[in-house]
Amino acid sequence: MRRDSIQRRLIAAVVFSQAILTAGLMITGVSVTYWRLLATLDAGMQAHAMSVAVLVRYTEDATGNVYFDNSLLPESIDPNHSDQFKVWADRTGALARSEDWPDGLPLQPGANQHWNFTWAGVPYHALRISHVPILDREEGKTFRPQTLTIVYASPTIRIRQQVKVAAAFIALVSLLLLGATAWLAWWGIRRGLFPLQALAQQAAEVSAQSWKLQPPKEAEEIEELRPLTEAMTQMLGRLERSFAQQREFLGNAAHELKTPVAVLKSTLQSLLQRPRSSEEYRAGLQASMQDLDRLEQLLQWMLRLARAEQRAQDSGRRELEVIDINATCEEAVERIRGLAQSRNTAIHLATNGPVPFRADPEDLQLVWTNLLENAVRYSPDGGSIEIAVTHEGQAARVTFEDHGSGISADDLPHIFERFYRGDPSRTRATGGSGLGLAIAKALVEAYGGSIAAESTPGKGTRMTVELPVSLVS
Amino acid sequence: MRVLMVEDEPRLAENVARSLRESAGYAVDIASDGQEGLFLAESNAYDVMLLDLMLPKLDGMELLRRIRQSGHHTPVLVMTARDDKESVVALLNAGADDYVTKPFDLGELLARTKALIRRGKGQPSAVVVIGDLELNTVNRTVQRGGRTITLTAMEYRVLEYLAHRPRAVVSKTELLEHLYDYNWEKFSNVIEVYISGLRRKLDDGASRQLIRTLRGQGYMLQD
Repeated sequence: MRRDSIQRRLIAAVVFSQAILTAGLMITGVSVTYWRLLATLDAGMQAHAMSVAVLVRYTEDATGNVYFDNSLLPESIDPNHSDQFKVWADRTGALARSEDWPDGLPLQPGANQHWNFTWAGVPYHALRISHVPILDREEGKTFRPQTLTIVYASPTIRIRQQVKVAAAFIALVSLLLLGATAWLAWWGIRRGLFPLQALAQQAAEVSAQSWKLQPPKEAEEIEELRPLTEAMTQMLGRLERSFAQQREFLGNAAHELKTPVAVLKSTLQSLLQRPRSSEEYRAGLQASMQDLDRLEQLLQWMLRLARAEQRAQDSGRRELEVIDINATCEEAVERIRGLAQSRNTAIHLATNGPVPFRADPEDLQLVWTNLLENAVRYSPDGGSIEIAVTHEGQAARVTFEDHGSGISADDLPHIFERFYRGDPSRTRATGGSGLGLAIAKALVEAYGGSIAAESTPGKGTRMTVELPVSLVS
Repeated sequence: MRVLMVEDEPRLAENVARSLRESAGYAVDIASDGQEGLFLAESNAYDVMLLDLMLPKLDGMELLRRIRQSGHHTPVLVMTARDDKESVVALLNAGADDYVTKPFDLGELLARTKALIRRGKGQPSAVVVIGDLELNTVNRTVQRGGRTITLTAMEYRVLEYLAHRPRAVVSKTELLEHLYDYNWEKFSNVIEVYISGLRRKLDDGASRQLIRTLRGQGYMLQD
């Protein structure tokens, strides 16, 4: 797996955007500098062109011809590189040009033109001014005055050098700024992520002994971290609850297992304490057998519960067939018949047409058997139990009604808890394990159903199981 | 010695009671729920109580608290299935003197019970010595001046009780209460028989009488 870091990503993003900004700034800066310098050069060239124009004079005669007085040529703008110029008069034609005027220089047509060219490896900026009047114009002359066209070109080497220097300067400053930004980003992001580290540290201190997550103040103040801290707190709450349940179950299971073992052990030890008659040995061994049976039953119940919970966990992954709920009820009644007969309890099953449901029949039979067994155990001798299976819309409802001692209001909310027994002595007398209802609940819930108990002490109890039959399709 | 055993598991109660009767010669009363236990503890004098915690009607812990609240000093040994630190601490804080965890060893339970009885009566050792009388409560033997004396079970129990309260006047009723379970009243005239039997065996060949009778008050073991 590639390891990535939020810090690295954020720094990269900051540095990248900063780099784009710098590049834009550089391009803009260099262009502006270049155009400003060029504009200055342009102004200088115009002035020089005018200085050249001034040197054009009319001849003394009255022909209107002109000549160029090159005794007062202006100096080059760049003292290191000489400017080039050429002057034309509209009637006289080409008048003068600089010494090394490049012949064949393409002259742009039009009025006032600027352009660039390179001659003999030297870059030039050129300017053409047309219709320049000749200043040397004396009163009284009758000829038609001539106008001048001047092309003036100046090397741009100096501008280029200046632009290069400016670009280098901007680049240097930008790089320094980029470095500073990167460092600031690193520092700021590290500080910004500190609450996350603090939170992680707190989370690391959470253990099975101490479930409290005290989100650090820094983390609580940060909006983005709030969903995380809330989710963590909630998750820890759920874990703590299920852990506590497990621990309680373990404690209860230990107690439930230790008691029959204690009985067995004490029976055998008291048998061994002194020589006994064979009747005493026989009685002791029989008692031990009974204790072992009880232990075995308890273990079986616990395994059933474990299996029920396992089934509840992977109920979604099993391939199940559609079965009839009525049939599973009939099977359960059949299984409990022996116990019911021994207590003269009549069981009535009322059904109303098949109720198809996708389930493992063994699971449902186990649920019904547990509920029935409970009902029979708490029914008076000669009592009756009514089972009714109804199908209403999306739900199948199975009710078990007995007319036994009922469940007290104090116990009612707890009867589906594992090992819960309102009155231990009574359950021991009736032989229950305290797990039957917990198993029933786990299985019913595995099928998306619900189980509920209503009871009137002294009158009887009604257990209602609801199963979502819409899952059949 | 008389023991109250509060345990709702009848077979366990019977086994422990049988063991206490057979190996230590104690009288044992059994209560099968917390309320009965509280009633018996309030209405009889016990030398030690054995208490289960998960009891119907009245929780063992609550029973213990109530007994202590009403000022009973009877040593209490708790038989618990839970041996985690917290519950043991809670037990001892509620007034228990000792505990064994289920499943326990009967021999250990017996030894702890005897130790609690001794401590409850201010007797530091398992061998009680009064003058030239030596009473070994572990293997239940009696010697006087190096001579081993053979006693019947009941004679031993009477002597043991007296030996645990040396130089104190012990009434006949007290002896009866501590030597028999709750049917003691029908044995009221047998104490004299045991005392005379004891005198005959203990004082045989000795210059001084060990058990004194204080008319109308009771008996006293003196050195």
